[in-house]
Amino acid sequence: MSAVPRPPIPGSLSNAAYEQRLRDAVMDSATLLNAKVLPVSIRSAALNKALAAGLPQLRDDLWRYADLKYLGSAALAPIAAAADDVLTHAVSALLPPRLAGYTRLVFVNGRPLPALSDDCAQLTAAAKPLVPDRTKHERFGWLNDAFATDVARLTVSESLQLEIIFAAVAGATRQAVYPRLEIAVAEQANLTLVERHLGSVGADGLINVAVQVHAGAGSQVRHLRWQQLADDAQFLDTTQIALDRDASYRLAMLQLGARSARTSFRASLYGAGAELALHGVSVTGGKHVLDHSLLVDHLATNTTSTQVFRAIAREQARIACRSRVEVSKQAGGSRADQSLKGLVDSARAEIDLRPQLEIHTDAVRASHGATTGALDDNMRFYLLSRGLDPDTARGLLEWAFLEDAIRGIDVPQLRSAAELALAATLGSSVARQVLQ
Amino acid sequence: MSTLLSIRDLHVKVGDREVLRGINLDVPAGQVHAIMGPNGSGKSSLSHVLAGKPGYAVTAGSVSYLGNDLLVLPPEERARAGVFLGFQYPVEIPGVNNAYLLRAALNAARRQRGQSEIDAFDFLNIVKERMALMKMDEAFLSRGMNEGFSGGEKKRNEILQMLVLEPKLAILDETDSGLDIDALKLVAAGINTLRAPERAIVLVTHYQRLLDHVAPDQVHVLARGRILRSGGPELARELEQRGYDWLLEEAA
Repeated sequence: MSAVPRPPIPGSLSNAAYEQRLRDAVMDSATLLNAKVLPVSIRSAALNKALAAGLPQLRDDLWRYADLKYLGSAALAPIAAAADDVLTHAVSALLPPRLAGYTRLVFVNGRPLPALSDDCAQLTAAAKPLVPDRTKHERFGWLNDAFATDVARLTVSESLQLEIIFAAVAGATRQAVYPRLEIAVAEQANLTLVERHLGSVGADGLINVAVQVHAGAGSQVRHLRWQQLADDAQFLDTTQIALDRDASYRLAMLQLGARSARTSFRASLYGAGAELALHGVSVTGGKHVLDHSLLVDHLATNTTSTQVFRAIAREQARIACRSRVEVSKQAGGSRADQSLKGLVDSARAEIDLRPQLEIHTDAVRASHGATTGALDDNMRFYLLSRGLDPDTARGLLEWAFLEDAIRGIDVPQLRSAAELALAATLGSSVARQVLQ
Repeated sequence: MSTLLSIRDLHVKVGDREVLRGINLDVPAGQVHAIMGPNGSGKSSLSHVLAGKPGYAVTAGSVSYLGNDLLVLPPEERARAGVFLGFQYPVEIPGVNNAYLLRAALNAARRQRGQSEIDAFDFLNIVKERMALMKMDEAFLSRGMNEGFSGGEKKRNEILQMLVLEPKLAILDETDSGLDIDALKLVAAGINTLRAPERAIVLVTHYQRLLDHVAPDQVHVLARGRILRSGGPELARELEQRGYDWLLEEAA
């Protein structure tokens, strides 16, 4: 019996063509795939899984809102990096102001740039790679496992405030870049991590990130992920975090850039008493597509997860967020709360929010809700009737709408930085004034 | 005595329904006018039309404010020109803090008058003084707009805004509804503070009780989209005793 060809999601790209492109990419980049970053056995296994998984299919609920059409033509292979001084020059204009008290590491096109980075004792290239189990939900993570040319691999044993900047710059040759971050946070350790994605490798390129963090027992992690890529960037992101007993993880995700961005996120709360707070803010316009698929697995007793997601789509943009929480049989006494809200700022913009909750045990407290709508006319009129101009009124209401999620960034320095970026994205003079 | 607000033969539709059917009203500066009437008479519609709320189509007539056509202005310009609407149902806007909104509103009006933006400390002094008058807790300034406020607190907040903005024409849409007697007295005191020769106040109300504390110069009865009768304060007392039916019957 011959196999029925499956309809591939990215337009004209068949699975056979995709497989061929992946094999070609391996040949093109073979000399760059350093075994110290990831051993050949891991790379090879990952490539095989990626080949077996193929592309997401049209009806695949996990992928239906992602814009992946560019995979038919965008580069999949990394290329040899330009010289350090060339990259340093190219990236210097992109770099944001320093955060006081933070160790900074700068990667350009996935490669570390010592000239722009601080010494960091926690960088331990010799440590065992942190390669999580992946499913088809994380299928592009396998590509990162196969093609990552460098890695930021850290072990945090006490306390660290770290800013990692993954910048991308286009060169003469089209390319894919595979930024990779692996962090093991030891028991009782304390990490504040700012992870920023800036720049672009261009409309014929791909930025495919893999982040994995293991939060040890009793550890405390604050993690601000900040995607503010240029308007032509194509961004795939696979992030997996695992929380041991009594670990506390506060994750804030700002998605403000890229033409097409897809985040596949999974949190495994496998230790009793582990606690995850996830706050997401996604704002975009143009014809951009921001897609999020978030999975939170409660695998042990008395685990807690809170999710607050706020999105604003303008013009012809589309933002999607599927957020699935599973509470396993072993996770009695757990609590899960989800609140997803979207604000559609134009008749042609679209927001798709899908909260999902699956509970396999009793004695769980859970809530979830999702709403999408336009700005409230009564609120708007109220502000106008107080003399505020329409732009100010809109900016103020949008700011207010995002407030619940912004509140999740509880480090004042980070919050101010994030608020300034948001104000600029919203084009809101109001928001800037509110910040004064 | 100059006429601040002059309404002539105003007809207004909401969708296919005519809610105002030929309103004529003059409000001179320095006076307080009460507009009374049964539910559904068009009182709130009139307030909304004057403030410029979308959804109301003026099909005939005119409204002149300080000698200029009010209806051509968008709501924010009416506000900056000194028209204030106290809402019957003030909205809650979580995340927009009260102090910010008050300051933005005040600065919008000041810019219109060619004044510079108010200094932050001067602003706080003004607001705190007015809040003391309304017996409001200062903690409220940093709270979200009307967020979690009781009905009475929302109404007091409307009056506070009016006191800070010092409009030329204040239209208070059923500001007295839902207030207990203590809150009613506070609100009335706030309104009385603002009585001045250059200012006019239009009280839209269903009941006489606010008028026991804020004495109107004129009382108008609005029903079925028209002003059926105008008179002095005694008209309000008559309505209190006899209700509205006799007027409706006379008009039928």
